Amino acid sequence: MRPALAVTGFLLKRLLFAAGTLLAVSLAVFAATEILPGDVAGAVLGQSATPEALAALRASMHLDLPASVRYLHWLGGMVTGDVGHSLVNNRPVSELIGSRLPNSLLLAGAATAFCVPIGLLLGICSAMRPTSVFDRVTSVATLSIVAVPEFFIGTLAVLVFAVNLRWFPALTLSPRIDSVEGFFRSMTLPVLSLSGIIIAQIMRMTRAALLDVLRRPYVEMARLKGVVGARLVLFYALPNALGPIANALALSLSHLLGGAIIIETIFNFPGLAKLLVDAVSTRDMPLVQACTMLFCLAYLILGTLADIAGMLANPRLRAS
Amino acid sequence: MSSTVEREPAHVVIKRPRRMPIPLLGWVGIVVVAFWLIMAVFGPMLTPHPAGEVIDPDGFGPMVPGMWLGSDVLGRDVLSRIMAGAQTTVGPAIAATLLAVFIGGTLALAAAAVGGWIDTALSRTMDAVISVPSLLFGLVAVAALGVSVPVLICTAGVIYVPGAFRIWRSLAVNVNAMDYVSVARERGEGMPYIMRREILPNLLGPVLADCGLRFVFAVLLLSSLSFLGLGIQPPDADWGSMVRENLPGLIYGAPAAIFPAAALATLTIGVNLLVDNLPGRER
Amino acid sequence: MSPKNGYSSSGVTPRLAPADDAALRDAIRRGATRRQLLAWCGGLGLGAAAATPLIGSARAAVAETPQRGGKLRVAGATASTTETLDPARGTDSTDYSRHYMFYNGLTTLNEALAPQPTLATSFETNDATTWVVKLRSGVQFHDGSPLTAADVVYSLARHKDPATGSKVRAVAMQMADIKATGKNEVTITLSGPNSDLPVILGVSHFLIIKNGTKDFSTANGTGPFRCKSFEPGIRSIAVRNENYWKPGQPYLDEIEMVGIPDSAARVNAALSGDIQLAAAMPVAAARQLERAPGLKIMETKGGTYTNICMRLDQAPTDNLDLVLACKYLFDREQIRRTIFRNYAVIGNDQPIDPTNRYFAADLPQRPYDPEKAKFHLAKSGFGSSLSVTVSPAAFASEDIAQLWQQSAKAAGLDLTLRRVPADGYWTNQWMKHPVTFAATNARPTADLILSIYFKSDAPWNESGWKSPKFDQLLVAARGEQDHAKRKQMYADMQEMISNEAGVGIPVFRSVLDAHSDKLKGLRPVPLGNLMGYTFPDNVWLTA
Repeated sequence: MRPALAVTGFLLKRLLFAAGTLLAVSLAVFAATEILPGDVAGAVLGQSATPEALAALRASMHLDLPASVRYLHWLGGMVTGDVGHSLVNNRPVSELIGSRLPNSLLLAGAATAFCVPIGLLLGICSAMRPTSVFDRVTSVATLSIVAVPEFFIGTLAVLVFAVNLRWFPALTLSPRIDSVEGFFRSMTLPVLSLSGIIIAQIMRMTRAALLDVLRRPYVEMARLKGVVGARLVLFYALPNALGPIANALALSLSHLLGGAIIIETIFNFPGLAKLLVDAVSTRDMPLVQACTMLFCLAYLILGTLADIAGMLANPRLRAS
Repeated sequence: MSSTVEREPAHVVIKRPRRMPIPLLGWVGIVVVAFWLIMAVFGPMLTPHPAGEVIDPDGFGPMVPGMWLGSDVLGRDVLSRIMAGAQTTVGPAIAATLLAVFIGGTLALAAAAVGGWIDTALSRTMDAVISVPSLLFGLVAVAALGVSVPVLICTAGVIYVPGAFRIWRSLAVNVNAMDYVSVARERGEGMPYIMRREILPNLLGPVLADCGLRFVFAVLLLSSLSFLGLGIQPPDADWGSMVRENLPGLIYGAPAAIFPAAALATLTIGVNLLVDNLPGRER
Repeated sequence: MSPKNGYSSSGVTPRLAPADDAALRDAIRRGATRRQLLAWCGGLGLGAAAATPLIGSARAAVAETPQRGGKLRVAGATASTTETLDPARGTDSTDYSRHYMFYNGLTTLNEALAPQPTLATSFETNDATTWVVKLRSGVQFHDGSPLTAADVVYSLARHKDPATGSKVRAVAMQMADIKATGKNEVTITLSGPNSDLPVILGVSHFLIIKNGTKDFSTANGTGPFRCKSFEPGIRSIAVRNENYWKPGQPYLDEIEMVGIPDSAARVNAALSGDIQLAAAMPVAAARQLERAPGLKIMETKGGTYTNICMRLDQAPTDNLDLVLACKYLFDREQIRRTIFRNYAVIGNDQPIDPTNRYFAADLPQRPYDPEKAKFHLAKSGFGSSLSVTVSPAAFASEDIAQLWQQSAKAAGLDLTLRRVPADGYWTNQWMKHPVTFAATNARPTADLILSIYFKSDAPWNESGWKSPKFDQLLVAARGEQDHAKRKQMYADMQEMISNEAGVGIPVFRSVLDAHSDKLKGLRPVPLGNLMGYTFPDNVWLTA
């Protein structure tokens, strides 16, 4: 089968499965919000919740309907493109997400653009010369960065660069893209604080996967034929290592969109991770669902891309 | 270590694995990990002060004799708390990592070796599991199973299963497409044999590198889960939680904010140096 | 110095002619440098030695006279999607502060928590039951419509409808009848006498909205600022209301309010100068903030406390001796010093704090006394470990519990701490176990706090304490108009709570705000952060 055809078929199948996965996740999330003690009425009233006030508020939010009816109602809305209203502040979910999604995408995009080339480059260089001084230094340096919790690094970065040196603001209240200078001022610290762990992840997986391939017989054969150095690594070894590398990439990048909670907290960055945490703590089902669906979709897309990369790179998988 | 280390950039020397001595960095890793393992067992008995006792009522004290690493936010001895905290940090983190890797790895090998609809079903299930927010997961675990260290370990383990699965599977399908696996299959070998003998040994390198990092994440996840109330209860604290609670001291440069982070760093570096330099690993 | 140009000299500080003085102040307001000011004074024939004190006093005068203009960026201590522009539903300090930007109340509470007339010009009553409220005339809502009695009736009556989701519904229920008795007059009839009505109506939940308002996507109030934008959980931008009824106010052009829930991020933002006013600074950072150039700390003492609820209707804390033993085992001095870095006042297991005019100063202070605790413990016969539920939801509860755990060892009492998530704490954990922690915000009156937390049938009777005698006293004190008699009644109630209820209150904590030294007009109001949330029309920025 021609690769293009294989990929198309594969994509169609994946699309079908993606719908199924989203449905399953939404059910699981709905069940979880139902299982958790407390509900959105209790969260809105907080410490001042009396039984009758709770009952009245529940009725006004239609929480008195059976769970299955509420889920189907939500699902019906979702299928027709209506993501619903937040239960706690009655605003459209699309508006709440819409005001934060660009920020999260910007953060994820900037971090990706910064980390992926560096991680890949370091990983490839290390794999080309394992046990060299460069390899050792890179390995220990990246480990040292990963080894310190993100919130420690982030706070330290703020203290040094924002409080003492005043190079950057301590908060990223609104990430700016209107000017290059504004962009760097608002995004440098969050991206740097995020990057350590991502670079390390990519670098380590690249190095390990490449080394693994480099000791395969076919690479040895190529070397015996006189292929050496960068050419050997990039054209002979890398394609076969691409699958695992792409998967590691997909895992760490999908984490960027909704998992940057620590960075969002330290810099008071208005992103999606905080929105989800908020929504969970107030049991705001439509908002929890919308965020989760979004993260799930991002993950599925990245995962599919990674799988396609892996398939295309490996002739044996391509054939099957 | 390979006897001929290439210096010229034009050549890459790759040797088949054979019995090799452990390099210096590997030894460093072994010593550090061994030290913390010993601390995890005996640390709580050796502390100079009880880990919960207030010895400096003003808090964030400097390093002085008798209080070698200063005092923490509540004026307790930082050294004692780090020693006692080794137990609550190292044990659960290792257990959670092993759990995640064991479950994720086994399922991934099965998916890759069997293929077909089992592969599809497992892969899509994992996609679904990873998409449920871990906060929701942690909260449900607390609500349904209560708070205890085993629940903490299982929750952290399950949260990391899909990640391990994805990496292992992507490696295993590559190996699975190799001739020698096909040969084994032709030979009529059973599935468990192929998984264990043919596939597993050939993806050990990257998989161990992944384990090392996963351990780092597990340590940090534990402190987030402790914050939710899952697991370790005050006055005991894992190192991640100690870093968190003493973070306000960072603006004073208080040692209490720095040393728990340093302990955490040595542990994770040690573990990763160890797995990177295991004998028989390609370096 | 020779007397010329009308300046007297002979050793006393020289003075400027009024016109020159005004010009100097004006120059300072425009941000003139010291060098420019000295040159300007030189032009008047003054040397540096004479001009320096002049400039200094002019600067001080400028700093104390409110100035118009400037943008203020404020950081609240909370941020959540639950944030709302509906004052009835206001959930946290960020909400409350925001509501004071856009709305006015009938009264406002001052530094002594005494009600100041605001939208109401007078509250009249003979029996503390029927109140006639006269409204200010000439007040406009942001949409241009005038304030009428109907707006006030709507704003107050809606609290009684459970579907409103009002936070103060229980308090509002005592307003049995609210009706307009004139264009600018409202008559409120209470179900029983309450001398505190004008105080109660000064809290943010009772701010006045436009009659019939159902949509709170923006705010239509009579307040000093208009709502330019509002994104729940992120920020709001408030711009000056040019038609504000207080002449010359507000001073600021614009207030941007952001919620920064992470206390370390709030401290760093204040230190770096990103924000000019930050609520709820952690005490651990107070030393650093005090040292920072250009920053000031404002301490607000008041009735905010973290307390221990020991259920008198659940074993094992249904034993009063065990409860007393527990109360004797707080090392209050250590809690104040180690956890609150001395930004706290020692408590006496009753909820009325020393800033309140009904505080019982004569009630003997309960000390840390392991011997007495041992005595009560032996008498109680309790010999096992006592489980204590703590949570990040109850401020500092983990810290207080850990010190309590240590100090209790002296009497051989073993406490086991059980930390639970902040998530759902108030509905699922608080008061549901024998020993739980709670965090209580300051309330404007003694009656409110006692009614909410100690009356036998109160939903939040935290220790399940039932005392008919206390209930009678509480109702009697509410209607008592003789101050001395009322004070004695409250003193008696405080003594009863301290000795009989299952509530332990080790300290009242202060709240700390950090602000730029250019921000003026802030005063502590014991209700909470940021001038009891009422800073918006009281503060100004100097150049």
